[in-house]
Amino acid sequence: MARTEQQSNDKFAGRWFWRYASPAAFYPLAGKIENVCWVLACLLTLVGLYVGFFVAPTDATQGEVYRVIFIHVPAAWMAMVIYLAMAFWAGTGLVLGTRLSFMMSHALAPTGAIMAVVALWTGALWGRPTWGTYWVWDARITSTLILFFLYVGYMALAAAFDDKKKGDRASALIALVGAINVPIIYFSVKWWTTLHQGSSVRPGSSSMATTMLWAMLIMTFAFWAYCVAAAMHRLRTQIIERESGSAWLREAVK
Amino acid sequence: MMWESWSAFWDMGGRGFFVWGSYGALLVAVVAELVSLRSTRKAALQSMQDTHDAL
Amino acid sequence: MSLRTVAGAVFRREMQLFARRKSDWANPIVFFLIVCSLFPFAVGSESEKLKLIGIGVIFVGALLSAMLSLPRLFDDDARDGSLELMLASSEPLAVLILARITALSLGLGAALTIAAPVFALFYALPFAVAGMLALSVAMAVPTLLLIGAIAAALLVSARGGAILTAVLVLPLTIPTLIFGAGAALKVFYGEPPAAELALQGAFLLLALALCPLAAAAALKISTD
Repeated sequence: MARTEQQSNDKFAGRWFWRYASPAAFYPLAGKIENVCWVLACLLTLVGLYVGFFVAPTDATQGEVYRVIFIHVPAAWMAMVIYLAMAFWAGTGLVLGTRLSFMMSHALAPTGAIMAVVALWTGALWGRPTWGTYWVWDARITSTLILFFLYVGYMALAAAFDDKKKGDRASALIALVGAINVPIIYFSVKWWTTLHQGSSVRPGSSSMATTMLWAMLIMTFAFWAYCVAAAMHRLRTQIIERESGSAWLREAVK
Repeated sequence: MMWESWSAFWDMGGRGFFVWGSYGALLVAVVAELVSLRSTRKAALQSMQDTHDAL
Repeated sequence: MSLRTVAGAVFRREMQLFARRKSDWANPIVFFLIVCSLFPFAVGSESEKLKLIGIGVIFVGALLSAMLSLPRLFDDDARDGSLELMLASSEPLAVLILARITALSLGLGAALTIAAPVFALFYALPFAVAGMLALSVAMAVPTLLLIGAIAAALLVSARGGAILTAVLVLPLTIPTLIFGAGAALKVFYGEPPAAELALQGAFLLLALALCPLAAAAALKISTD
């Protein structure tokens, strides 16, 4: 008797998770997550920028220009993390066949591409006064550029099919192929730069004051919140696009 | 207050172009994304309405 | 019929087609020649300058011409219906795809491998470098075709295939480019190229192991 109860509990626990694989169940939850994350993103950005610009001291070697780090490093991290998340949902979608997983991948890609561009742009503007050049073919910079290419390829492929299901699965496969390649590309480029450049200039590595680290950490959480909110918004739009005929959606949108 | 004046704040120790160029680019990117999020949502809702009206 | 006979038949058919349709290998070579001859006009004709860019230009040119032949892998077959036969076959799809890629690699790879050291003369490169370029190109073309087969398989029925193939495939070939051109550069600077060649070989083997499976999955997705 006790045993069967245990079993049905396990089953129920499983169902709790699976329930949210259905767009109808996830749509309202995504809305709640989105709203919380917009608020968090705004608050954390305000706090982070205040600490970054009014509490953190001037850097001893770089002067004021180091303050770019508060957005540069979070953007670079997000570009990487979002790609991994995108590949994870793509793989989940291919294995389990859950259409919400594919939508999640599609929802993440544009934000990831934007983060890659922001990381490259701010890196260039930071690099010019610090190492005297806008662009260095350094492993991290080059990998971020290639990451951007992979995002663009993923989005272009997803849009190239009239049949959405086909586009889902095709782009998911490419996301996985890219995920396998990212580390290979990173180490190849790293090897290549040590080969060609006698003295490679590198950012960072100088000791940072605690308040600087705090500002960067808070901004990182702000970026997380922003990216989650943007992805959830896009996910809900996708659900609207794809389920436009269903009755539950008409109720939910009202 | 660690800045002597607002002009010192905007000047960023002579590196204003690089600092504000970075933050400005982020702002542009975020605003562009928000606008596109809003417009695609609007279009999706509109087309849903249209298909419903057509029925 | 055993798997071996089927794979062999696919391979032989591909080689016969390749021998019959001269444009399949002649056009990439002509394209390669034109790309290689354009750069001196843009850079200047001093042989010192040309030497420095020659290896890169020839290597990238070879990769681009190989990429142009990627649609050949599946597009014609999709049109005449032999792709459906391949898909319906009880043999593992990955092996059949591997047989096709092998045939194309041998045909096109041989043509580009012969052309690359000849074009090295345009750039005043020494014979040793030209020889290493030939070896590098011979290893890089199959790697590119293996990776490219995934994209070609996905885009069999999609619009805008050619440009999209380039966007998808070229970023993934960067490691091959680094070590392929790197081996020739090492010879150019009089150093042993063993490490670059070993890594390039490793990429080829990795692609050989993974890409046919991925391409088979891709073909199933796109022809579903």
